[in-house]
Amino acid sequence: MTGGAAPLLQVDGLTRRFGGLVAVDDLSFELGAGEILGLIGPNGAGKSTTFNLVAGALAPNAGTIRLEGRDLAGLRPHRIAARGIMRTFQHNMAFEGMTVSENILIGRHTRMRHGLFSVLAGTSGARTAETAAVARAAELIEFVGLGDWADADVGTLSFGQGRLLETARALAGEPRIVLFDEPAAGLTPAECDRLSDIIKGIAGRGISVLLIEHDMRFLMPLAERVVVLNFGAKIADGAPAEIERDPAVVAAYLGDPSGRIAGTAGDA
Amino acid sequence: MRNAVCWGGALVCLSAIGFAMSSYHLELYQKLLLVATLAVGFNFLFGISGQIAFSHIAFYGIGAYAVVILTFKLGLPLAVGIVGGIAVSALLAAMVAIPTTRLEGFYLALVTLAFAQLLLVALGAGGELTGEDEGISGYGLPDFFDIPLTGAAYTPVIVFVLLMTLAVILRLDNSYFGRACRAVRDNPTAASAMGIDVARTKVIVFVLTSTLAAIAGMAYAFVNNFISPPIFELDRIFELLFMIIIGGTGRHAGAILGAVLLYSIQFLVEPLVGKFHPLIYGFVVVLVILFLPKGLIGVWDDIVARRRRAAAPGKPS
Repeated sequence: MTGGAAPLLQVDGLTRRFGGLVAVDDLSFELGAGEILGLIGPNGAGKSTTFNLVAGALAPNAGTIRLEGRDLAGLRPHRIAARGIMRTFQHNMAFEGMTVSENILIGRHTRMRHGLFSVLAGTSGARTAETAAVARAAELIEFVGLGDWADADVGTLSFGQGRLLETARALAGEPRIVLFDEPAAGLTPAECDRLSDIIKGIAGRGISVLLIEHDMRFLMPLAERVVVLNFGAKIADGAPAEIERDPAVVAAYLGDPSGRIAGTAGDA
Repeated sequence: MRNAVCWGGALVCLSAIGFAMSSYHLELYQKLLLVATLAVGFNFLFGISGQIAFSHIAFYGIGAYAVVILTFKLGLPLAVGIVGGIAVSALLAAMVAIPTTRLEGFYLALVTLAFAQLLLVALGAGGELTGEDEGISGYGLPDFFDIPLTGAAYTPVIVFVLLMTLAVILRLDNSYFGRACRAVRDNPTAASAMGIDVARTKVIVFVLTSTLAAIAGMAYAFVNNFISPPIFELDRIFELLFMIIIGGTGRHAGAILGAVLLYSIQFLVEPLVGKFHPLIYGFVVVLVILFLPKGLIGVWDDIVARRRRAAAPGKPS
């Protein structure tokens, strides 16, 4: 938690069912401004569903997702992006046939506030916004270290570079929160280190980061706090060092047959 | 300022060409300019925004019929006829677009095709109002400061419609809206995550390009002062589609190039091969699709890229 101030993002009683399966069960957690929060759990624990609920790709059956007190549960993804929550995709989703720079400009869509009539009239406001967008895109390309590829077709990027592009594209919307969907997946150790530094840099600018991640070697040194899910419910919430020693977490990961999440059932 | 000079120069030059032509060639030239106008708009809808919609020619017809019916059948002033025609077209386009935004590819194609067919049926059964199969004739524009707007004197109006369409499309394409359209075409899921309202973007593009087609149709109505259903038949939408594909899908210059080439080809080869000219047309279409997937504009791009590469090593770093 971050000091006494109200958390930036407050998830409360979030529930999502698929038929008879409760993928996310009465989940509550908070994210402070500038905080790096990891969301982990065994396969099928409900991490991706939670991610999709926050990003608006899925609507919850119950619960609220409040950003600075305003509920955004069930809003469509583009409305969520406009409120200041941008995401990356686990399987990079660059816009093909465009340059790196153009891709990042698309990430800035929600900040282009002038209407189509100003575009058609070519008003100075429209031109200023366009120039500012191009300048900001160039900054972000430098920030993630793709400076030499600014005008390259995205098809020529490596997978790791594609992940950096996704990161810069999410930042182009000037978000309050960036959601990372398994950002380390498919990256080399060197690329992981690089991305880890970039994520710390993002949090350093006061932007909150929510990561879902499998790779513990990547997540544990990076996250300030970790929320652990198992069977859709929260079984632990704390600093990485505490989480690693938590018997319920160890049991969930190792599949201890005797004490399956015993003693934490009331946590959910 | 330089921009204004360029557009003005294009208006004067393209209009002046008309005065040097025989009346037969003039009519073809005016129709060519209108086909190019349609191609530019359709390219934005199909090539850039990725909507496989077959109603573009139908809206061309709606514009033509709307202005003629409002002005000459209902006796409204011409300005009201034009504004009313634009409003009717935009409204109809919105009525087609809003329920169909959830449809993609094949299904959008079917709905718009059905709409185009429905329009032809309506025109053929419209009684006195549409003139049914005979269409409407015997109307005409009032003189413009004592100049009758017929023949070559009408060319500037058509050129103006072409350049206005081009200017609107270029402005949109070179803005965040154009990028959003391409993003929606390439990956709607990612576009939505970037804050783009996918459905709204699709509706705006459809209504806007359909209305531009309707305005071109209004200009068409006064080329011969005659309109009838066959002019807006379904096969013309496929001609338009071939023009875009052959020129280079998604490219403005490609759309114009494709329109000029495919429109002219029938008149150029007909004297040589007589009634077999559709065969030549078909051959060209098939060859380009097979061997030039990026269209004719792709060939030009390759030449430019090769030149640049050849020039690069000689440059001092």
